[in-house]
Amino acid sequence: MAALAGRLGAAVPYILLAPALLLVSSLALSLVLITEDSLHLLDRATFRLGEAYSLGNYALLLERPVYWRIIGKTMLAGVIVTAVTVALAIPYAYLMVRTERPAVRKLLLISLFLPFFLGQVIRAYGWLIILGKQGLLNAGLSTLGLPSVALIYTFPGVLIGLVQYMLPFAILLLAPAFTAVPAELELASMGLGGRPWATFRHVVLPLARPGWVAAGIVVFTLTLTDFAMPEIMGGGANDFIANAIYDGYFQLGDAGQGGALAILLCLLGTLAVALVFTGIGVGTLGYARYEPAATAEPAP
Amino acid sequence: MTGGRGLRAVLWAIVLFDLALLALPTLVIVAASFNGGKIIAFPPEQLSLAWYRVLLERQAFSDALWRSLWVALVCTVISLPAGTLAALALARYRLRQATVLQIYLLLPFILPLIVSGIGLMLIFGRLGMLGQLWPVGLAACIINLPFMIWAVGASVNHLDPDLEHAAANCGAGPIAAFWTVTLPAVLPGVLTGGLLMFILALNEFIVSLLLVDARIVTLPVLMYNSIRSIITPDLAALSVVYIVIAAAAIWLLDRLVGLEIFLKAK
Repeated sequence: MAALAGRLGAAVPYILLAPALLLVSSLALSLVLITEDSLHLLDRATFRLGEAYSLGNYALLLERPVYWRIIGKTMLAGVIVTAVTVALAIPYAYLMVRTERPAVRKLLLISLFLPFFLGQVIRAYGWLIILGKQGLLNAGLSTLGLPSVALIYTFPGVLIGLVQYMLPFAILLLAPAFTAVPAELELASMGLGGRPWATFRHVVLPLARPGWVAAGIVVFTLTLTDFAMPEIMGGGANDFIANAIYDGYFQLGDAGQGGALAILLCLLGTLAVALVFTGIGVGTLGYARYEPAATAEPAP
Repeated sequence: MTGGRGLRAVLWAIVLFDLALLALPTLVIVAASFNGGKIIAFPPEQLSLAWYRVLLERQAFSDALWRSLWVALVCTVISLPAGTLAALALARYRLRQATVLQIYLLLPFILPLIVSGIGLMLIFGRLGMLGQLWPVGLAACIINLPFMIWAVGASVNHLDPDLEHAAANCGAGPIAAFWTVTLPAVLPGVLTGGLLMFILALNEFIVSLLLVDARIVTLPVLMYNSIRSIITPDLAALSVVYIVIAAAAIWLLDRLVGLEIFLKAK
């Protein structure tokens, strides 16, 4: 790299970045195209978007209660899934980092990666088998003489699927943060009379803040924008914003309406991330941190 | 120290619950795939490999599987150079707009997948690229590229800049220095990233759903179309193929870099 820099000078890093920037620019262009569509009303006579610019699609979003319901449901799911997932992930990440037995650590790592490497459709399929009317759960309940539960195609069913899907993401973002908390600090706290619970709450968790902030933000935004789980586990009655966008394009055939909802979803997600980033910083979400000491200067 | 034992007990209880939650769908799919009956029943009526035979016989299944593997390969082949070079540039050079560039390169994670998918559908449509399979791989690369940059970026720290200077001083040209010094040093990150990109593309669903038509469905899209109408056991055997691939990827990842690398503090 250093030698390359010597020959081509200041342009080198930008040449290296060019392919990645070009790939990502397609998404910037996507945003432009979708925004453009969202500013034209659908002409019902031709079923094409009209020529004139208009904010009518955004006004429609505000007018129709169905969109408010969908947005509300999606936000509610985001809050519940984030709280439950991070709460479930903290003990897992903490014990995985702190355990003294390498075999236990390996087992926890493998148990985490196996579902992580399986997509949402396959996992949703597994949940349909478990939660179905004659599924594993109800078969188990009926052998115990208990009444069956209807979780398939319900909002709680979608939440179960989402928590299971998000758990590996949350654990993987939390683990490095717990690693960064020196074990000596915990011993010091307990040596000074801190009870284990107090030590965990007042020493370990605050120090691991970048981890649970990162986990929280990732789980919240992934839930906010999820399509597959509400689509498959919700059975059509539990749409999230992403499903409404899809329907806007492919059921209503209205790229203006779908586009406006897509832009709204981007704004909601960006707003949430921006609030956290300005308040707390990029945390463990940034790329390899820029360290001047490790920077290669052009060779003389 | 009862308090300590109490805390540990509560934490381990939650971890056991997590383990059950994480494993449940996978275990159930494996169990269902050996079920002999026409519908999925618990307990299984009889053990059978019948659904695996269906898997081999049904052309639609194997076609979709090959398409997904092809998409994953295209995605990986594009990601490897693009992500590796970008990560090196970000980590090793004083860039004037480093923060802006970093945030711009996070765009695939900032945009919702449904939005990226529709946007790419619009662009590929205008370029006449729809109806082919390779743009699906390209799309999978675009939406997951930050993972690749991340993986390589994490291993750049192992690279001592003096090594590159030394290579240059010993007369190595820039290209030679890259192949013999830089790349081997960041190879663990490159391999980790490549493996991640392959697996993510293999499982990619929503963007594929938007980009494929009925002739070229990838496997997750085929499964989705199928479970929308009826939950049948034939898909269980198909899913087991994916589970086996995931297990192989984990084994490979563990051999190459060790899974413990994901526990490292930044």
